[in-house]
Amino acid sequence: MNWKNVLRLVSVDRKYSRVIRGTRFRRFRENRIVTYALYIGACLFGLLIGWLVANFYNGISDTTLKELFLQGATSLFTTLPTLALLYGLVFSQMGQMQRIGAKVSIQPLYWFPITWKEHTLASILANLIGWPLIITIFIGSSTSLASVPLGLAPLAVFTMLALLASLFLASVTTEVFKILQVRISGAVTKVAGRAAIWVRLLGSILFFIIFYLAYFSLYYSVSLPALIESIAGGQRILWFIPYVWLGIALSAFISGLMLETMIFFLASLAFIYFLFLAAARLNVRFGLYEAPSITISHGAYIPKAGLLGRVGFSSIEAAIIKKDFRAFTRRRELMYIFIMPIVFTIIPLISSMRGATGGSLPSAFYSFLFVYLTLLPGTLMTVALGSFIIGSEGGGVWYIYSSPISAKSLVKAKYFFATLFSFAITLVCFFIGVLLTSPSLQITTIGLTEAILLIFSLGMVSLTFGIRGADFREFPRPRMIRPLWSFINGLVCILLALTIISPIIPYGLKILFETMQASAAISIPLPESYLYAALPLSGIIALVVTYLFYRKTVENAEEFLLKAET
Amino acid sequence: MTNLLALKLTSVSKRYGDVTAVDYLDLDVKKGEILGLLGPNGSGKSTTLKMILGLVKPDSGSVNVLGINVEDDPVAVKRKVGYVPESPRVYEFLTGLEFLDFTGDVYGMQLEEKKKRIEEFLKALDLEGREGDMISSYSEGMKQKVVIISAIMHRPELLLLDEPLSGLDPKSARIVKDLLHEMASQGVTTIMSTHILEIAQAMCDRIAIMYDGRLSALGTMEELRQRARMPDSGLEDIFLKLTGTGDIKPVVEALMK
Repeated sequence: MNWKNVLRLVSVDRKYSRVIRGTRFRRFRENRIVTYALYIGACLFGLLIGWLVANFYNGISDTTLKELFLQGATSLFTTLPTLALLYGLVFSQMGQMQRIGAKVSIQPLYWFPITWKEHTLASILANLIGWPLIITIFIGSSTSLASVPLGLAPLAVFTMLALLASLFLASVTTEVFKILQVRISGAVTKVAGRAAIWVRLLGSILFFIIFYLAYFSLYYSVSLPALIESIAGGQRILWFIPYVWLGIALSAFISGLMLETMIFFLASLAFIYFLFLAAARLNVRFGLYEAPSITISHGAYIPKAGLLGRVGFSSIEAAIIKKDFRAFTRRRELMYIFIMPIVFTIIPLISSMRGATGGSLPSAFYSFLFVYLTLLPGTLMTVALGSFIIGSEGGGVWYIYSSPISAKSLVKAKYFFATLFSFAITLVCFFIGVLLTSPSLQITTIGLTEAILLIFSLGMVSLTFGIRGADFREFPRPRMIRPLWSFINGLVCILLALTIISPIIPYGLKILFETMQASAAISIPLPESYLYAALPLSGIIALVVTYLFYRKTVENAEEFLLKAET
Repeated sequence: MTNLLALKLTSVSKRYGDVTAVDYLDLDVKKGEILGLLGPNGSGKSTTLKMILGLVKPDSGSVNVLGINVEDDPVAVKRKVGYVPESPRVYEFLTGLEFLDFTGDVYGMQLEEKKKRIEEFLKALDLEGREGDMISSYSEGMKQKVVIISAIMHRPELLLLDEPLSGLDPKSARIVKDLLHEMASQGVTTIMSTHILEIAQAMCDRIAIMYDGRLSALGTMEELRQRARMPDSGLEDIFLKLTGTGDIKPVVEALMK
C-alpha cells in the first residue's frame, strides 16, 4: 500500500466533491482557510461544550445526582459508535447522491501505477471528510475534555477509537453499496433494453422519495435522546449484527469484561477489513464504469407520423416534443425535476396527516387537502419544467441553433411539453384527492379549474424566464437556468398565482370561517352565485397573463436563436 | 453570375471584445464547389462558418447564402444547409436511430424518404446493429458518423463542415470523402474547415487560408504554389509559409535541449 498515492487520491476526490457542489468549474480556487475553518470550529466548539459539562459536573454537590450524571454519560459513550455509524452512512450516501447529477466523474486512472486497494481506500477515506469528520471532531473533543473530571478518560480514548472505526465501517459500506449499484444498474440495463429506461426512472423516483421521507421523518419526528435511548437498549439484542459490535465492545469495557471487549473489538476490526477487501475485489471487477449500452429498439425502422402530427403540430415541433419527452425520462439529472414537486407535496401532506391522527378533523381540512393536492404538484411541475426546459438542452443546444426552427415553433413545442406533463401530474393528484377526501362538486370544480389556469399561465411565465436566463453549462452539473432568473421567476410566479386565484380566496375564507367554531363571529357574506363570477374572472386574469407572457416569450426566443455566439 | 454563387461574403467582420475574429472578409463560393478553409487555431474559421449559418451575427458586412440574405431569413438558410460543428454534442439520451429520425422531422423530410436515407447511411457507415443503442455508449467516431449523417441526410444544398473527418475510421472517412465529391458533382457546395492538410489537398477544388481573421490566400493548389513561389511543394509547406508560421526548426531544437 503506497500511502502517498492514497493521500493524493483523497485530495483529488475531495476537490472533485467541492467543485461539483460549487458554481464555478473552470476557475475554481480553493480557500484553505474556509475549508479547514469548520474542522477547527468543530474542535473549539466541542472543547467549549466539554469544558461546560466538566464544570457542571464539578459543581454538582449531591452525590446521588453526580452518580446519575455519570451513569448517563457512560450510557451515552456506549451509543456513540452506533450513532457514528448512522450519521456516517447518511452523509456518505448523501455525498454519493450529490454525484449522481454531476456530468463529470472521476474515474480511476487505471494506467497509472496505483493499485485497486489504494483506489478503494482513498475513496473510503474521502467519503469521510466533511460532515462525518466534523461531527466526530466535535464529539471527540467534547467527550475527551469532559471525561477527565468524570474519571472516564480511558473510556473516552476507547470511544474515540471506536468512533473512527465506526466511521470507516460506514464509509466502506457505502463504497460496497456504490459498486453494487453500478453493477446492478449495468446488469438491469443489459437485460432490460427499453424497459431499463422505465426501471431507471421509476427506481430513481422511488429511491429519492424513500430517502427524503426517511430523512424528513427522522428530522421532524425522532428526537436525539429517543434515538440514543433506543440504540443503547437495542444493540445488545442485535449482537449478531456486526455493525453494532463496536458499541457492544464499549459497553463490555465499561462493565470491566475485558475478554468480551477484546473479542467484539477485534471481531469488528476483522469485519471492517473483510468489507474493505470485498470492496477492493468488487472494484477490480466493476470499478471501471462504462456507460451501459442501452438498446432501445431492435428490428426494422418504421417512421411514423405520430399523434402530435395529427393534432396540428408541425414535424419540427413534434420532433422537439418527442425529444424532450425522451430527455426527461432518460436523463438522470432531469429526474430531479420530477422528484422535487412530488417530494415537496408528500412531506407536508404526511406531516399534516400525522398531525391529524388521534382526533376527528373538520370538513374544511379535507377540502383544503383536496385543493392543495390538485393545485400544488402540477403548478410546481409547470414552473420547474417551464424554467428548465430550454437550459436542459445543454451542450446539444447547437442543434437547436442550427435547425430551421422559428421562434414561435420553439415556444409552441416547449410550452406544450411543459404544460402537458404538468397537467398529467395534476390529473393523477386530482384523482388521488377525490379518493382521499370525497370533495363536494363546488370544491372539485374550483380545484380543477384553478389548477388548469395556474398550469397554463405559469407555464408560459416560467418559459419566458427560462429562455431569458437559460444556462447551457453542463459542468460540473447541468445548470439549466441562472440562479438570479430562477429567483425572479419564482417570485413572479408566486405573485401571479396569488393574483389568478385571488377571486377564489374570499370563498375559501368563507368556508374556513364557517367551520371554525371559535371564530363564528367572523363571517364573509357571499351570494350563492359568487363562484359563477369568481371562476370566469380568475380565468380572464390567467388568459391575460398567458397572452402577455406569450408575447414576451416569443421575443425572448427570437433573441435566443440569434445568441449562438455567446 | 449571382445564380452560380452558393455563397457570397461581403466585407464581413466580427469582433469579440478586443479580439477581431474575422476582419472584413470577402469570399465567393460557386455552386458545386468544395472549398477548404484552412488556418491556424483562432484564425476565424469557425466564426466564419457560424456567420454563414446565421448562428453569429456579423458586426458589419453581409452574408448571402444560395440567394438569401442570412440576416433576413436565417430559418430559410438553415433549411438548405447541413452543418457539422467543430465538437458536436449530440443528444446522448437518444439512440442513433432516434436522433436521425429527429433530424429528418426537423428538416421536414417525407417518411419514406427519411426511412430510405437513414437505412442507407447506417449501412454505409457501419452503424447497422448499433442504431438502436443510446448514443451515450457510442465511441467518438460513431458519434461523429451520426452527426455527419444528420448533416447530409436531408439533401442540403450547402454543407458547412468543421473538422468533419476527425475520429472516423479509414473506411468511413473514404466513404464521406467520395460522397462529398459525388454531391459536388450534383451541385452541392461544401465548405470544409480542417487541419488535416492532406485531406484538403486531395478533396478541395479551392483552398482558402485564413490568418488573424483575414483571407491570406485563396485559390487552387497550383495558384497557391505560384503565390508562395514553391512550385513543387505540398500544401503543408505552402500553408506554413503563407501563414508565417514556417520557422519551426528552432522551436524543436529548443524542446530537445
